[in-house]
Amino acid sequence: MTAPNNDHSRDGAAATGLAEQQANAETAPQMPGRFLARRCTDPLNVVIVLVVLAVIVTGVLTTRFFSVANARAILSSSAWVGITAIGATIVMIAGSAVSLAVSETATVVAMIFLATQQFGLATAIVLALLAGVAVTALQGAVIGFWTANPIVLTIAAGFAISGVATWISGGTTVYPQVTRFNGLNDTPLGLPLAVYVLLVLTAAAQWFLRRTTAGRHMYLIGENPRAARAAGLPVAQVTVIAWATFGFCIAITGVFLAAFNTSANSALGGTLSLDVIAAVLAGGTAIGGGRGSALRTLGGAVLISAISDLLLLRGFSTGIQLLVKGILVAFVVIAVHVRSTRGRQ
Amino acid sequence: MIRRAALPPETLVPGVAFLVVLVTFLCTPLITGKALTTFDVYNTLQGLAQLGLLTLGLGVTMIAGEFDLSVAGTYVIGGMLAVRTGQSSAILGVVIAVLAGAAIGAVQGGLIARLRIPSLPVTLATYIALLGLASAMSGGLSVTYTNTAATLWIDRKIADIFTVPSLVAVVGFVIAAAIFGGTRLGREIRAIGGDRRASRVAGVRVERTLVGLFTISGTLPALGGALFSYAYASANPDPGLQPLILATVGCLVGGVSLAGGRGLPAGLLVGALAVALLGQIDAMTAIPDYYTDLLYAALLGVIVAVDAPGLRRGLERLRARTLTTRGSDRRPERVIDK
Repeated sequence: MTAPNNDHSRDGAAATGLAEQQANAETAPQMPGRFLARRCTDPLNVVIVLVVLAVIVTGVLTTRFFSVANARAILSSSAWVGITAIGATIVMIAGSAVSLAVSETATVVAMIFLATQQFGLATAIVLALLAGVAVTALQGAVIGFWTANPIVLTIAAGFAISGVATWISGGTTVYPQVTRFNGLNDTPLGLPLAVYVLLVLTAAAQWFLRRTTAGRHMYLIGENPRAARAAGLPVAQVTVIAWATFGFCIAITGVFLAAFNTSANSALGGTLSLDVIAAVLAGGTAIGGGRGSALRTLGGAVLISAISDLLLLRGFSTGIQLLVKGILVAFVVIAVHVRSTRGRQ
Repeated sequence: MIRRAALPPETLVPGVAFLVVLVTFLCTPLITGKALTTFDVYNTLQGLAQLGLLTLGLGVTMIAGEFDLSVAGTYVIGGMLAVRTGQSSAILGVVIAVLAGAAIGAVQGGLIARLRIPSLPVTLATYIALLGLASAMSGGLSVTYTNTAATLWIDRKIADIFTVPSLVAVVGFVIAAAIFGGTRLGREIRAIGGDRRASRVAGVRVERTLVGLFTISGTLPALGGALFSYAYASANPDPGLQPLILATVGCLVGGVSLAGGRGLPAGLLVGALAVALLGQIDAMTAIPDYYTDLLYAALLGVIVAVDAPGLRRGLERLRARTLTTRGSDRRPERVIDK
């Protein structure tokens, strides 16, 4: 599963990988032909181009797919999952694989947001975000400092979070005393506020990952934690930062979920955990860490929404939509893997 | 000085966890005021029937250092296929479900072993796709199984406490234990999980074994799902993540490590039984659900602590420091019974 057992060990691969990337960047302008050829045979690009082409062709043949209203629908439906997926991308790049406690965290954040409405919208949002960051950063600390397995830990955290939430709420649905959050459901320029938040978050995460030291550290830690530790990077602290960011993103999704549903029960989070992982993987981020980007995840989330929307317009059931989503994720995962190992064989 | 446990975690974890759960189970009459009956044992075994094969399938891949999330998908699709195709002949339905599970597992195993892809993303994609397929096959609704004769046959009590599904689960564990105990395969699987490269160098046919393991982890849940659907006379296209999470808890409580290389079928059986017992304690005492949630969290928390190398290193450093300050430089040695 995660790094220790992959027999194509990453030791040493990080250095060559980075060197290779630099070499690519340097040689690309001189050898456009080779660069282009490499791009065209890149299995990930082939898969993505084929899928996008298929969507476009089917879209042209489907009435109302290419319309402003439908584009809005696609963007809107990708917003909630997309926001959390941006955070999940950072965690996956930093090598902590996935979290299975996303649904529970979002649900609890939504409950806190609704239960604190009487203190004012700003206070409620701040409390909700703090809760999300605290709960998720704590998991990040256990993973970072104790190298705990993220899957087991997040399953445990999921149980703990939902247990405590049911304990405190008494297992009932949480209703707000006053509703001050209607502004969050606004649709400026015809798009829900969540879409703008998603775009801003994507840009911020992209900048953070590419341009800041902490962001670059995350790639190295994900690619090769031992090398990162040997290089003196604060591996545990950076892991905590990644998870805290993730928690922030989950909390934003939780707040939007709460504002949209105006009440919260234990089932609010639904299948968010898996949807988020699917979006990140469909964007081509490698599960083992070290590769991926926020922009790609945005692409993955929008692509999944577009395909679901297309299938819906053509009258296919939710079951078929899920089936196609699974197949898409499988193809992208295989393509990402083939690409990452091809150079080494 | 604290004495270190003399048992390896794969015996210690399931042993202690099971003992705690069993004692709690035996103490439930103190809370409920009703004596334990064979019906409680029967019900526990029904819980085992539901989770047992799922746990075993997931567990054997975990021992080999992989993680087959798709077991929850093959479980669902097995039940759905069996109910869909077995309305007139129950055996035909089971056969189709098992064959489909084996085929799904073999394809995944082939991808994972030949291309050396991490199993988590591949099996997650399969899980999503299979849930979709089950939902598409049923229109998103539960499908009723109308073959009452088959349901009655499956549900009849054997020796007061067993039914066909729970017996099948127990037999599955016994066969797995026999294979692990009596053949080279068990050691090879653990070697693959422990150090794949070394096991390949040592002559273990890693790819073939992995494909076989994934075929098993596709087959067993499909069989379990089929029997469960027959027993309840309906197939549910979306049971959620709960079965998968409970099976994972069963494996981890059973002494399997997510890092691979550790675990035994006997431990898996004990882990699955512990989860089933917890479910039964829940049902008997009618305690609120969140207690169980918190209990599972605590159980997994202990396992995280046992499994986390960083924490262990930290504790060892701490112990070494306290030992040296007490003037003893002897590091406690770990006794391994093999």
